[in-house]
Parts: sequence; C-alpha cells; structure tokens
Amino acid sequence: MLPGRILLAGLRRSASAASSVAQSPKNMCYWDRVIWSSRYFHSASDNAFSEGGSKAKELPDPFALIKDEVSEVTDRLRSMVVAEIPELTSTAGYFFRAGAEGKRTCPTVLLLMASAISTDMSDPIVGLENKPRARHMRVAEITEMIHISNLIHDDVLDNADTRRGMDSLNFTVGKKLAVLAGDFLLFRAFSAAVALDNTEVVSLLATAVNNLVTGELMQLTITPAQRCSMDYYLQKTYYKTAALISNSCKAVAVLSGQTTEVQDLAYQYGRHLGIAYQLIDDILDFTGTSASLGKASFSDINQGIVTAPILFAMEEFPQLREIVEQGFDDPSNVDVVLKYLQKSQGIERTRLLAAEHAKLAAAAIDDLPASEDPVVLSSRQALKDLTQKFLRRTK
Amino acid sequence: MSWRWALARRVAKLAATDGGGGAQAQRLLPTSSAAAGTGLLGRLHMPLASQIRSKVVGCRGAALVSSRWLHDAQYQVRQDGASRAQEQQDPFELVADELSLLANRLRSMVAAELHLQVPKLASAAEYFFKVGAEGKRFRPTVLLLMASALKFPLSESTEGGVLSILADKLRTRQQNIAEITEMIHVASLLHDDVLDDADTRRGVSSLNLIMGNKLSVLAGDFLLSRACVALAALGNTEVVSLMATAVEHLVTGETMQISTSREQRRSMEYYLQKTYYKTASLISNSCKAVAILAGHTAEVSMLAYEYGRNLGLAFQLIDDVLDFTGTSASLGKGSLSDIRHGIITAPMLYAIEEFPQLQEVVDRGFDNPANIEIALDYLRKSRGIERTKELAREHADRAVKAIESLPDSDDEDVLTSRRALIDITERVITRTK
Repeated sequence: MLPGRILLAGLRRSASAASSVAQSPKNMCYWDRVIWSSRYFHSASDNAFSEGGSKAKELPDPFALIKDEVSEVTDRLRSMVVAEIPELTSTAGYFFRAGAEGKRTCPTVLLLMASAISTDMSDPIVGLENKPRARHMRVAEITEMIHISNLIHDDVLDNADTRRGMDSLNFTVGKKLAVLAGDFLLFRAFSAAVALDNTEVVSLLATAVNNLVTGELMQLTITPAQRCSMDYYLQKTYYKTAALISNSCKAVAVLSGQTTEVQDLAYQYGRHLGIAYQLIDDILDFTGTSASLGKASFSDINQGIVTAPILFAMEEFPQLREIVEQGFDDPSNVDVVLKYLQKSQGIERTRLLAAEHAKLAAAAIDDLPASEDPVVLSSRQALKDLTQKFLRRTK
Repeated sequence: MSWRWALARRVAKLAATDGGGGAQAQRLLPTSSAAAGTGLLGRLHMPLASQIRSKVVGCRGAALVSSRWLHDAQYQVRQDGASRAQEQQDPFELVADELSLLANRLRSMVAAELHLQVPKLASAAEYFFKVGAEGKRFRPTVLLLMASALKFPLSESTEGGVLSILADKLRTRQQNIAEITEMIHVASLLHDDVLDDADTRRGVSSLNLIMGNKLSVLAGDFLLSRACVALAALGNTEVVSLMATAVEHLVTGETMQISTSREQRRSMEYYLQKTYYKTASLISNSCKAVAILAGHTAEVSMLAYEYGRNLGLAFQLIDDVLDFTGTSASLGKGSLSDIRHGIITAPMLYAIEEFPQLQEVVDRGFDNPANIEIALDYLRKSRGIERTKELAREHADRAVKAIESLPDSDDEDVLTSRRALIDITERVITRTK
C-alpha cells in the first residue's frame, strides 16, 4: 500500500497531460520516478503487444524518460559558463542558449546510464538533493561542455558556416574568439571535474579530451595509404566520436562505486553506441533523408574524408583504391567514387556493421547485474531503445 | 656534508663583503689546491657538471648545482683579487641543468605522441621547446627557483633515507608544474596566433596560411589536452583548480584585448586587469601551485602567488616601455608593434592623463603612420615612460618583499634560490631587451 501522498502525486500526474507538468527533478523523489518510469515501461510493452510485436512500430522515446533532468542540466550549464567578461560568456554559452541546445544526447545517455546501474534503493524522500544523483548530473554537464568545446574547435578547423541549423560560432564571432571560447569551456569542464574529488574520474575525462585531439590529428594528417584503411578509420572514429561518451559512461559507473565489471560494461555500451552513431552518420552523408543516393550533402567526401561505405566499396572494387588515394581535389573523382558506391554494397554493409555495434551495446546492458528496481529496468530498456533509435535515424 | 655548507657559507659571506674578502677567502682553503686554482669546492666542480647532466636532478642535485654557483662566486673573487661579489652569477644558470631536463622531457613527449602521426605538428610544437632559446625559459626558471626557495629543511642525518626520496618525488612533481605551465603558455601563444578571415584578406590567403591556422589550433589543443592529463596525474584538486583558473584568465585576457570597447581602451584599470590576466596570472598561479604541492600554509602560498603576480606585472610594464624605446634610451626606436596593432599600453595611458587631447589622436587609430608620430610626440613630452617604469619598480619591490616575508631558513640552497628570485626582479626592471 503506497503512502497516501504518493498516490496523490500519481493521481495528479495522470490527471495532467503527458508529463508536461514541470516537476522539478530535484524534488522528484524515488517513488515519483518509479511511477513515471513505469509509465514508460508500460508504454513500451503496450507497443510490443498491441501490434503483435511487429518491428516497424513507434518506439517509446528514450529521451522523454529523462527529459526534465536533462533540462536541468542545460540550465545549469548556462550558469556554469558565466565568465568574468560578457563577451566570453556569450561566446562560451552560444550553444547553451534556449533553442540552440541540440539533441543533448550525451547528458541523456549518461543520466540513463546512471539510473541503469544504480543499486542504491534508498533515496531520502525528505532530502532536497539526491547527492549521488547530483554528482552524476555533474558528469553529464562536464561531458556536454567538453563535447561543445570540441564542436566549436571542429567548426573552426573545418571552416564550417553552420552547425545545428544555425550559424556556427566562428561564423558569428570569428575564428579566434571561437578558439578561445572552446579553450575556456574545456578548462571550465576540467575544473568542475576536479571538484568531484575523484582522481579516476578526472583521469578518464582527461583521457577522453586527449583522444578527441588525437582523432582530429589523425584526420588532418592522413596519408593516402591510411585513407584506404578500415582499421585506421575505425580507430579514428573511436577517438573522435566514441571516446568521450564511453569514458564518461565509465566515469558515471566509477562515481557510483560500481565494480570494475560494471564499469567496463558501461564503457562498452558507450563505445559501441558511439561507433554505431558515427557509422549511421556516414551513411546519411550519402543518402540524406531518402534511401537513395543523391539527396544529401556529401560533405565528407567533398572534404576528402573517406568513410565506411566507401571503404567497403573499395573491398568490392579494388580499382576504386587508386582513385581514393589520389584524393578528391578533382570533383570528377567524387563522381566516379559515387558511381562505384551505388553499384556496391557499401551502404548496406555499413548499416550491418552499425547494427552489429548496436547489438553489442544492448548486450552490454543485458550483462549488467540483475535488478528488480523498476527505475533501473526502464532506464536499461531506454538505453537499448536508444541504440535502435540511432539505427533508424534519417537525419 | 654539513661542514662543506658551513665553509661555503663563510666563503659566500666573505665574498659579499667589500675589500679584503678575497684574501680571507684564500686563506680558508688549502694552499696547494689554492695555487692550482681548485679548492675543496673546486674538486667538486668538474665531476659535478657530468654528474648532474647524466642523472635526474633531484633536490640534492639542485643543492650541488648551487654549491657550484657559490664556488664560482668565490672563484671570481680570487680571480680579480678584489671582491666582485656584486657581479652575481646569472640566476638562470642556477637551474640551467634542471631546465634542460624539463625541456628534453617536453620535447620527447611531443615527439613521441605526435611524431608517428603528425611530423609537421611535432615540429610546430617542438620549436617552442627548443633548448637554449634566448630568454625564453623564464617561467620554468622562476618556478624551479621558487620550489627551491620553499624547501622545508632536510636534516643531514636522513640523507639517502625515506625523507630524501620523498623530497625527490616532490621535486619531480614541482618540475611537472613547470612543464605544465610551459605547455599552457605555448598553447596560448599558438591559439593567440590564430588569424581571422579579416586578417587573411589583407594578406595572401594561401593554403599555407590556412594550414597554418589549422595546425596552430590543433597544436594548441594537443598541448592543452596533455596539460590536462598531466594535471590529472598530479592528483591535487587545489593545484588543478589554480591552473584551470590560469587558463581561464589567459583566455579572458586575450578576449579582452580583442574586444575592448572605446571606453575600456582608455581605462588604466582595465588595462592593468587585462595585463594581469594575460601575463601575470599564469606565473602567479603556478608559483602558488608549487607552494601548495610542497604542503605549505595558505599564507606562504599567497606569498609565492604575490611574488609571481608582481613579477609578471613588472615584466609586462617594462615590455610596454621597451616597445617604445627599444634597446636605446630614446623613444621611437622600439618596434612599436603594440601601437601599430592599436594596443594602448601603460605609457600611452599615462600620457593621456597628462594631455587629454592625446585621447582624440588615439581614438583616430594608428593605420596612418603620421598619427603614430603625433602620439609619440605627446608621449615624449609626457612622463608616461617614467611613470610606467616607476610602477614597474613598485611591483618589483613588492615581489622582493614577498620573498623576504617567507619563513626563515638557514638552508643554503633555500637562501641562494631566494637571492636568485630577488635578482630576477632586478633583471626584469633593468633589462633593455
């Protein structure tokens, strides 16, 4: 029999429209989360049963499960990047403004992971702030800051004009101020990491930062031979895309005091998720919003970046290798490569590889120690759903 | 060992007094070796050099180096027969060997990490860590001297024991601070050099230039990320906090410089704040970090901080003067690069206080070289240069005071390092380039 107050809260929630009540997650105690997440779980299983388990159904949105906490993260981020001078605050906070936040995949994954591995059953209902949860949110904030700092520098390096559907920061304030803003964000993130008072966590994040730079270096200085190597490509992809999320997932596990096995599983989830994400990204650069070639940006290949679909195509058509080694300064080379790509199984094989990584990510979640806690279970389900969601994205 | 220190102390003291010191110093040493020009200390001289170069310079190594310094001082005295103790040995020499060690470590770190993938980047970053570049090893020198100046006394009986191993470990960590500081400094130089499209439009927007931009950003990022890793490895929250603050200040200072409004450009307060951020914050925070690593009290750490801060400010103020005067005493012979870039520094700000009409000239900007001449004219008439030098002297004095306020010690190494730190403030003020 649930305490009356909880029943009331549950009633209140079901009375209001689909969780649009702005319940502050800080005050959301354990049992509220149970109710909320059980709704997610039920909707997931409802979907499974209602259409006889057909595959092409609408997945429950894993982002929705944790939406409020992620909003809290974004709000905090805005205040965390306040600098001594307004010019710096505005450049550093450029991507944290309302409407500019993007999908906030990093914080979503991390907060879900924190719930998924949680073994702490006793939340103090009377407490205002769930201390361990607060620390996990810190990791989410730090990771997002590192991510944004990296985006900003990437745009400077690529001379990009747009990002997230709006002007890039370097387009708005110039390269130099953008570079400085990125540095500022990086070290703010680092200070916040240090405040967590856990040297292993700091180490993991520092490693992630280092990996990001290494990945970028690998891309900038690639030789013709390396351009044709799938191993080099996958390593570079790990560094550039997966290293941050995998190390932060592990950091979340470390902060929770989990065993090394659990830490490693968290890490593996992040790693496979990141790689799967990037592989689909590579496909989308060719296919765009439709399934056929020719309706997308081709920005990768135009910048001379050779991705998985082309690498697979090269395995089928060895003559492609010579053209790839030549590089893509000559636009006719691009056309030739695209023709080969269309003939080949490159796109399909990349999709298969992405699915493989998604499966491995889900497997990591399944390997987590068993739990009966509904919050834990629904978070784990959400993490698995996320891998599928990535595979199906069209933009 | 202690008798050698006692001897060295006596020699140094005698060398410091005027007249007759030389003769007395001579008498202290055995005559045969005195004739040969090598004393007891001298016999240490030759093996010292090779010893130090071939092994890690721990705190004892630093002590040996400084005894060599003392010997040189004494040797000079004997050379001229009169005390020339006023002619002190170069404080940079004091830590020269340790510095090469640091520089080599940095270079090999860069080479190891980057060489496999990015030879171009490796040479870009390596350039900055080249050994022997004139006047460039300022920060690490100050930090290593500060580390020595703050040493807790090691009792003689524990030499080679646990305490001395711990002391060596501390020294290594303090060396790491010096390395991290240098990495941050170079990264900030690289990022400050990033050109905007506006700049390339005036010049030639060649592939080289664009490549240069990319490499600058990436090389800087690389150094910053390695600094993060090294800081994480130190495992000291407060130290990381200090260095993160320093980076933040560097960024803030540079942003202030780029985006100053007209009103701000007139303000001496704004200028000094910006100068603190751009020049003094890194050295002051790293001095404080060195103190904290050694386990000193907040009070002592603040003294280290104050030394760094005032030294940095003094350095920049003299830099501003030299940009006008160059190596000559007269104005206008310097490179004038500040004013050409529209950067208004202390001498000009002081001049504006005296001649308000100069403000209008400054506001017009300095694309027109005739305007520069007009401004220089006002500057000549004003006391701008003098007042800047006075302010620099004031900061140098405060730096000296901070050193003098450090807790007493009779460790020779400590005293030597403190003297060297004081000497550096003097050099900063009196340098001509």
